[in-house]
Amino acid sequence: MQASDAAPVVVDGVVKRYGRRTVLDQVSLTVPPGITGLVGPNGAGKSTLVRAILGLVRLVAGSVRVFGLDPVTDPRQVRQSVGVVPEDESTVPGLAAVEMVRYAARLSGLPGTEALRRAHEVLDWCDAGQERYRTVETLSVGMRQKVAFAAAIVHDPQLVILDEPTNGLDPIERRAMLGRLQTLAHRHGKAVFVSTHVLPDVEAICDHVIVLSGGRVRLAGSIEALTRPAAAETRLEGDGPLEHLATQLQQAGIAARVADSRGIVFPTPHAAGLATVWQAAAAVGVSVSSLAGTHRPLEEVFMQAIAESQETGDAAA
Amino acid sequence: MPLHDVGYRGWPGRRLAAGHAVGVIMTTGIRLAWASRWLRRALLFAWSPALLFGTSFFAFEQAVDEGRLSSMREGARVGRNLDGVGMLGTVLAETLGRKNGLDAPKTEAEEIAQTRRLVWSRLLLAFVRAPQAVLLAVVVGLIAPALISRDLRAKAWLVYFTRPVSRLEYILGKGLVLAVIIAGITMLPGVVLWLVGVLVSPSVWVAVATWDLPLKVIVSSVVLMVPTALLALAYSSLTAESRIASFAWFATWAACWIAHSSLTTADMMAAANDPTAQIDHDTSRGLWGDVDAVLAGADQPPPRKVRWFAKAAGLDPAIDHWAWISPYHSLGVMQGWVFGIERRPQAILPPLVALITLSLISIVILWQRVDAPARA
Repeated sequence: MQASDAAPVVVDGVVKRYGRRTVLDQVSLTVPPGITGLVGPNGAGKSTLVRAILGLVRLVAGSVRVFGLDPVTDPRQVRQSVGVVPEDESTVPGLAAVEMVRYAARLSGLPGTEALRRAHEVLDWCDAGQERYRTVETLSVGMRQKVAFAAAIVHDPQLVILDEPTNGLDPIERRAMLGRLQTLAHRHGKAVFVSTHVLPDVEAICDHVIVLSGGRVRLAGSIEALTRPAAAETRLEGDGPLEHLATQLQQAGIAARVADSRGIVFPTPHAAGLATVWQAAAAVGVSVSSLAGTHRPLEEVFMQAIAESQETGDAAA
Repeated sequence: MPLHDVGYRGWPGRRLAAGHAVGVIMTTGIRLAWASRWLRRALLFAWSPALLFGTSFFAFEQAVDEGRLSSMREGARVGRNLDGVGMLGTVLAETLGRKNGLDAPKTEAEEIAQTRRLVWSRLLLAFVRAPQAVLLAVVVGLIAPALISRDLRAKAWLVYFTRPVSRLEYILGKGLVLAVIIAGITMLPGVVLWLVGVLVSPSVWVAVATWDLPLKVIVSSVVLMVPTALLALAYSSLTAESRIASFAWFATWAACWIAHSSLTTADMMAAANDPTAQIDHDTSRGLWGDVDAVLAGADQPPPRKVRWFAKAAGLDPAIDHWAWISPYHSLGVMQGWVFGIERRPQAILPPLVALITLSLISIVILWQRVDAPARA
């Protein structure tokens, strides 16, 4: 069976135990095309899940499919279509950056000359070309991270798995790295699976998010769906007497409240209600700069999911 | 953005078939090992015994060319000391002085051919068994401990096992790094020695007459490679600290050698004190068996200065009952078997079983350990 158009990763009822400790407990999830974030506290089972996807760990129960292939029975085909940036620094001591990337390409099955050409090309794309002839262990943490990323994508994988990809990167490099991930996903059609603690990174680039805690999936879905408030709300931002505007709207039957110094929030009204909002704003002298639907911060969603999982865990205990 | 940044591009080409990773790991491993100045020096030094043995080949062929073989044979038969020409003298005295060693040659040319084959065999055996096996332990001790332990320490196992590389390919790749370097110490100089022998002999047809000797050198080198590489890699896989693996490697060779020497000495002393003890050797084939008895009228132990060499060249007829306890001595017996100089089952079987057991245990350790961190 060839790597197909099936969902990049499908995990079904996976159970993994180390001794008596259950690390993954009936984990079922699907990693769709695009960028998917895997978030969770330390010890949530994220690294074990990544290893399960690569077929490196023996599962107690459940199954994993990567592009429709079982990574335990077809490890070669699965790993050819996957590139991994591990959380731990992993290098072959003594190799220069370009040799390291070339080595990774050759281990993934690229012929020698082609592997060298792509190693140079990918290092340039990752903005690590200027350090290509220095041995990896002498590079800065950020540069090593870029080399590891280059090594993960040099063989043109269909799925890229990254564990804390922005570790050790300065803000500019962090932004550039996130941009590269978006390019891979949206321009080259790669599925990108990012395990990270940095929620703003997830919010900035991910299309989907999976929250893993205590070995279980607590939340999964598109960022848009997860951060949508229970009741649709609209936020109005502008300059002027926002308190007066909120009072005016309340008198008109719209439950508006002041969110902060920049805006007010009110339940998303129908078309006639929206006209009332515009008229009220004009009446009190508020200059509207934006009017858009609100969303909950991902951090709030995450914290709520973790709190619920802990309550569930406490109750079970 | 660099001027030559062409952006990220896909790669639609075909991947190489399974197994290519073995060659990739091997070549990279050799290149990294070659970066060590100490390894380069050790390898250079490891070729120096070949010069000495090359001289012996030349001296023998010179004696043949000058027609001095007959007079040397007479000398050996009347007990003249041929040690004056060093190793060659020891080998020649045994080969020329024996009664039944050669297959009743009809002509002098046949006798020369048979003598040459025996002398060359013993010189080559002594070469791969005595200096090269010891140098091998040193060179392997320099590179093998770091081969896997360094990967464990630098978490390089993630580089391999997140890519389409199997455990078998990884172990084979690392093993071949050692195999190539061991071949550079034993196989290559051994074959070169044979070639030198051919070049200094009166006729190049000697190459046809002795065609099997380079093959025996190759096989005996493989016999050296397999257990030593597996043991060294197994030690390396057990720790992330290469110096611990290095210590274990050298300690194994030294401790087993000392244990072997102690037990052999104890046996000899017991035999010397017991007049009824049987000396276990084949009296039809040894310099210190029938030839000594004929020449000196008594069982004389071999001269101390040549005992190690005599054993290495297969001249000592006594069975080494404790060879199985030491990898060095076990490998020596196996090499003697490959060269057709040791054929007694009671001498061959215990070391053979010991080496097979050692290799199997090493394979099991390697199989369990190389990707253990990935599974943890």
